[in-house]
Amino acid sequence: VSEINRNYRFPATAALAGAMLLVAACASVPTESLNEAKLAIEAAERADASEYANAELDEARQTLMAAERAVVEKNMVLASHYAEQSTVTAELAIARTEAVKAQAVNAELERGVEALIEEIQRTGNLQ
Amino acid sequence: MNTSTRNPVRFTRILAAGFVISMIATGCALKPVYPEGSAEVRSKLDRLRSDPELAGQAPIETREAEAAVVVAEQSIGTNYELGEHRVFIADRKVAIAMARARTGYVLDQRAGLSQARDAARSKSALAQAEAEKRVDDASRSTAKMQQQIDLLEAEATARGQVLTLGNTLFATGRSDMKSIATSSLDKLVVFLNDFPDRNVTLEGHTDDVGSVALNQTLSRHRADAVKSYLVTRGIQDRRITAKGIGMDQPIADNLTSSGRQQNRRVEVIIDNPPSAIPATSKL
Repeated sequence: VSEINRNYRFPATAALAGAMLLVAACASVPTESLNEAKLAIEAAERADASEYANAELDEARQTLMAAERAVVEKNMVLASHYAEQSTVTAELAIARTEAVKAQAVNAELERGVEALIEEIQRTGNLQ
Repeated sequence: MNTSTRNPVRFTRILAAGFVISMIATGCALKPVYPEGSAEVRSKLDRLRSDPELAGQAPIETREAEAAVVVAEQSIGTNYELGEHRVFIADRKVAIAMARARTGYVLDQRAGLSQARDAARSKSALAQAEAEKRVDDASRSTAKMQQQIDLLEAEATARGQVLTLGNTLFATGRSDMKSIATSSLDKLVVFLNDFPDRNVTLEGHTDDVGSVALNQTLSRHRADAVKSYLVTRGIQDRRITAKGIGMDQPIADNLTSSGRQQNRRVEVIIDNPPSAIPATSKL
């Protein structure tokens, strides 16, 4: 009997540990990740991402909504993943917005230089 | 006996294991699948690192992307959703690093562009100043020319500025100039020296004393006399055309001696330049 008990105890302990792990991983609402996503989206909005990287901004918003739906459905792991994906997508929206803005400034500078060179040539030809 | 007691235990074990698996399946599915797409993300990161324009531009973001790619690659054995999630995060982090590197590259380029712009600006200002100076010089030279033409007391005609060297320049039948005429010729020399693109035509005229043929020759000699004077004063021969008109174009009555004196003359025509005269065409 004692041998039987010993053999039985191990799977029971394993099951309990597994269940506890699952509770820790899945059960709580990922509030911090959700907040982080919201803040990242707000930062992207402030950076004019709607103008320069609207697809990414929109995706970040949709993914945050999916995270909130997952919370309602009590799928906290999925909610946490979606929240993180929303954050990183909003961050990408900001990075791309800044790249496009920087490029636009350079293009403006280039046009300015070209216009000046043209002007110099015109002035030079005015004999 | 042994087998009869062991079987139920084995069955219980299987049940317990099955319970755990089913819990896991409903909670967080645990399927050991290699994360799809991690290789693509890795090659994207490699492209960023080997791009001559972008490599090294966003070191922090590139390190974060590297870490995320490593996490994604190490997701073998975790569940499928987690692997997929990690690949997604890694992919986005690589994209962020790329965008940041692009921004860095663009900002580097901007320094050069600003320099080019500044150089072009000062060059433009210089060209502007030069153009203004040219306009100034041109109008100054036009003003100067007008001033000298005024001094010559020349008359503007369709042929050009006409200056009449008359009044006691020549005696009847003679082509040698009286010295009194040379002061107005000296003004002409100054003018021709200052405006080397202007040429002159000299037309000799006579009174009606003597034959037509004689007066024709005499008028030519008078024009030639003025020409040689100008040449001795340093005006190039080719700039001066001398013509004898004769007695046919009097400007006064040949019946009186003062009228005949007026008719004994050389007209100096300052030819209009081949291009437009600066005096009449403003820049």
